Amino acid sequence: MKLLVISQSRNRAGRTIQVRKEIATDWVRVGRNAASEILLADPRIALSQGLIVDRNGPVYTEGEMGTTTSTTRKAVRSVRLSPGTSIELGPYRLTAIDTPPGFTGAITVELVRPPENVAPEFLSRAKRLTLASLGIPKRATALALFALVAVFFFLLPAGRVLDLPWRAPEGVAMASDRFWNPGPVMLAHQPVEQKCEACHEVAFRQVRDAACLECHQRIGHHVAQDLSPATLFAGMRCAQCHRDHKGVKSTHRDDDGLCVDCHRDVRSRANGAQSQNVTDFAKDHPAFRLTLPAGKGVRRVRQGSGPIAEASNLVFPHAVHLDPAGVRHPEKDKVKLGCEACHQPDASKRGFEPVSMARHCQDCHRLEFEPAVSSRQVPHGRPAEAMTVVREFYANLALNGVRDSFEKAFGVPGEGLLRRPGEPTAAQRQGALGLAAKKAAHVSEEIFEIRLCRTCHEVQRVEGDKGLDWNVAEVRANNAWMPSARFDHKSHAQAKCADCHDVAKSKRSADVAMPRIEGCRECHGGSLPVEKKLTSSCLLCHGFHEQRHPWDPRFRPRAAARAATGNAGAN
Amino acid sequence: MRHQSILEYAHFRWLKAALGLSILAGAAYLWHDPPMKPYGGTWLGYALGTAGALIILWLLWFGVRKRSYLSRAGTVQGWLSAHVYLGTALLVVATLHTGFELGWNLHTLAYVLMVATVASGFYGVYIYLSVPGLMTANRGEETLDAMLLKIADLDREIREQALSLPDRILVVVNASLDGTRLGGSLARVVTGRDRGCPTAAALRALPEIGKTLSGEAANLHHEVYTLLLRKSELLARARRDLRFKARLDLWLYAHVPLSIALLAALAAHVVSVFLYW
Repeated sequence: MKLLVISQSRNRAGRTIQVRKEIATDWVRVGRNAASEILLADPRIALSQGLIVDRNGPVYTEGEMGTTTSTTRKAVRSVRLSPGTSIELGPYRLTAIDTPPGFTGAITVELVRPPENVAPEFLSRAKRLTLASLGIPKRATALALFALVAVFFFLLPAGRVLDLPWRAPEGVAMASDRFWNPGPVMLAHQPVEQKCEACHEVAFRQVRDAACLECHQRIGHHVAQDLSPATLFAGMRCAQCHRDHKGVKSTHRDDDGLCVDCHRDVRSRANGAQSQNVTDFAKDHPAFRLTLPAGKGVRRVRQGSGPIAEASNLVFPHAVHLDPAGVRHPEKDKVKLGCEACHQPDASKRGFEPVSMARHCQDCHRLEFEPAVSSRQVPHGRPAEAMTVVREFYANLALNGVRDSFEKAFGVPGEGLLRRPGEPTAAQRQGALGLAAKKAAHVSEEIFEIRLCRTCHEVQRVEGDKGLDWNVAEVRANNAWMPSARFDHKSHAQAKCADCHDVAKSKRSADVAMPRIEGCRECHGGSLPVEKKLTSSCLLCHGFHEQRHPWDPRFRPRAAARAATGNAGAN
Repeated sequence: MRHQSILEYAHFRWLKAALGLSILAGAAYLWHDPPMKPYGGTWLGYALGTAGALIILWLLWFGVRKRSYLSRAGTVQGWLSAHVYLGTALLVVATLHTGFELGWNLHTLAYVLMVATVASGFYGVYIYLSVPGLMTANRGEETLDAMLLKIADLDREIREQALSLPDRILVVVNASLDGTRLGGSLARVVTGRDRGCPTAAALRALPEIGKTLSGEAANLHHEVYTLLLRKSELLARARRDLRFKARLDLWLYAHVPLSIALLAALAAHVVSVFLYW
C-alpha cells in the first residue's frame, strides 16, 4: 500500500502549512507511539490508536487493536477512507482526499482542537491535585517539631543548668532537667535524685569520687591506700563499679564477675596476697581461714592445713558441761546445760556475747575459799585482792572468831584472841597473827594451785623476793573466728548449734569446733543457681569496702581483739 | 531487563551489610560484660551509640543526596536501598544501645522518635513497592494530564450535544460541566472520591428523565449519557490516580518531620548525657 499523508497545521500568522509524506507499507499505524507511520502526538490519542490497511482502497480500523480507550466519537471498528470521508480521532480530523496517481489513497491530518484550545473550565477546577499543591506543610511541621523538642527538652533545662541568658526562674516546671534523668536512682540516693548537681557537680565532667565521699566519708578501701596493690585501683573512680540510675535496688552487680576478675589469679595482681585463688563458692573456693589470738595480735590459720588448737589458757571441757545426765550444782542436784546457758546472742543477734565468769560460770563455780566456815568468795580476776581477802579473813578469824568457826578453820582448839578474857600478851598476839598468816598462805596456795583458780585457769607459781605469788595466765578465749565474714547466726537460727559446731565430745578447751566449707556447701551453692541450693555470690559473705581487708598484714579483726584482751576472766 | 526493586539493589548488597552490622552488634552485646547492666554508658554502649548517631546523620543526609542531581556519589537508587536497610539495622543498633532501659525521659523520646521514623519508613517501602504498579495499571498508557485533557474535550462535546436537549436535562448536564472538580481538598485527594460529584449525580438522574423523550431528542440524550459515562470513567481513574499519588506522598509527611524531630532529640540526648556525665 502506498499512502499519501498531508499533515496540515497553521503557523502563527494563521496560514496553513502542509507537510506531505509518502508511506509505502503493508499497513499504516496511527497513534501516539513514535513508531507510528501517522504520528498523532497528542496525549488524548492512544499509543496505538488504529491502522490503515488496504482493502481495495484504504480502510481505517481500530476495533481490532482492542483499544479500550478509543477517543473516536463513535466506536468505529472500521471506516472506508473513500475521498470526502472524514473521521475524528480525538482532537484530530482525518479526511480522505482524491487519490493521486500511483497511490492507494491520500488523507489529510489536522489537529482541530489543540490542547491550548481546550475549554479551561474543568481544568481550572482540577488544579490542586497533590498534597504539596494543597499546601499541607511538611517542612514547617518538621521545623516546628524540631523547635519543640529542642526548646523543651534541651534549651530550657540547659538554660537553668548552665545558667544561660534565657535561664528560667526557679520553680518553672517546664524548665526542669528531670527529663534528662535516664532512670531511677537507688533508694538511698533518692533524697538527692531531683538535685542532679549533688553528684554531677561540673558540667561535661564525669562524677568525681569527692561527690560520693561527701556522704560516704567512712567508706573503707579494699586495700589500704599506702599498700602497693592499692595501685591496682589507682585512677579508678567509684562510678566505675557503682552505676546509678540503674534501678532502685543497687548500684553494683551482685554476681561474682568483678571479684573473680582479680581473685581468679590474685597474685598476678597483688604479689603479696595471702588469700588463695577463687572463682566460685561451690566449685573453687579455698578452705576457710580461722583467726586466732597469737602473741599480741592474731594469726590466721587455714582449715585442713594441720591441726588447729586454741590457746585460750582456760581449762574447759565442753563434754563435761554438756553431759546429757547433767552436771553437779552446789545447791541443786544436777543441772542440764545447753549451749545457750553460756552462749547468748548479742544485741544484733548475729553473734554472741563473750562468755563471762560472773554471768555464766559462777553460779556453779563459786569462789568460796573456806566453805566450812563462810560463804565468802574471793573476788574474780584480781589475784592480789584475792590474797588480801584471804589474809584479812583469817586474821579476823584469829582475832574475833567464835570457837566453832575458829576450830573448823584453824583445826586447833580455841577461839578468837579478843574473845579470850584478859589482855593478850605479846606472845599470844604473835601466835594468833602467825596462825592466821600461815593459814592464809596455805589457803592461797591451795586455791591458786589446786582448787578454785586452778579448776579453770593455767596458773604459774612465782617465788619472788616478796614471797610466794601466782601468775594466772591471761584468758584469750576467741569470740570471732571469722571476723571478716558476714555471717549472721540469726539467719541460721533454724539449724541446731550442733549441726555446725560439734562440741559434745570435746574434752579439751584447745579443740576448735568451727564448721568447714563442706558443711556450708550442703546448703550454699555457687554463683549459678542449682536445685535445692542457695545461690551464693562472693558478696553474700564478703565485703568489698571493709575498713581493713584481710589481705592487709596489719589487719586486726576488731571482735577477736576484744575477746583476746583483759586480765584472766575479767569478764 | 527485569525491574529491580530497591530492596534487591546490587544483589542485596545493603541487606548483607545491614545483617552484618546487626549480627556484629548483637554478638558484641551478648559477649559484653558490663559493670552493672547493659546501658548506653558502657564502652559498648558508647560504641553502639556513636554508630547509631552516625547512621542517623547519614540517613538524614539522604534528603540532601536525593536532591543533588549532579552528585556522582553513588546512585540515588543505591542510596535508597542503603537508606532502607541501614535504617532497619539502626533499630537493632539503637535498641542494643539503650540496653532495654526505657523510661519517661528525653533519651527514650529520642528512641521512640527513631522507632516511629523507621516504622513510617517501613510503611513507605511498602507503599513504594505496591502503589506504582497499581498506579501504572490504573493509568494505562495515559498520563494524568491526558485524562484531564480528555475530560475537558468530553465537556466540550457534551456541551455541544446537550444544547438542544430539554432544559430539565440541560440543568443536570450543566451541573456536571460547571461543577465537576478534581482534588482541591485533602479528603478528596486522599480518598479518591467526591461524594457530591455532579457528574455522578447527572448519571443517576439522566435515565429517569430520558424515559419521557423520543425521536431525535432520545438519540441525543443517549449520546450525552454515553459521553457522561466516559467522563465519569475517566474521572474515577483520575481520582484513583490522585489517591495513589497521595499515598506515595502522605507517609513522608510523617517520616520527614519525625526524622527532623529525631535530629533535635538526638542532639539533646547526646549533649545532656555528657553534660550530666
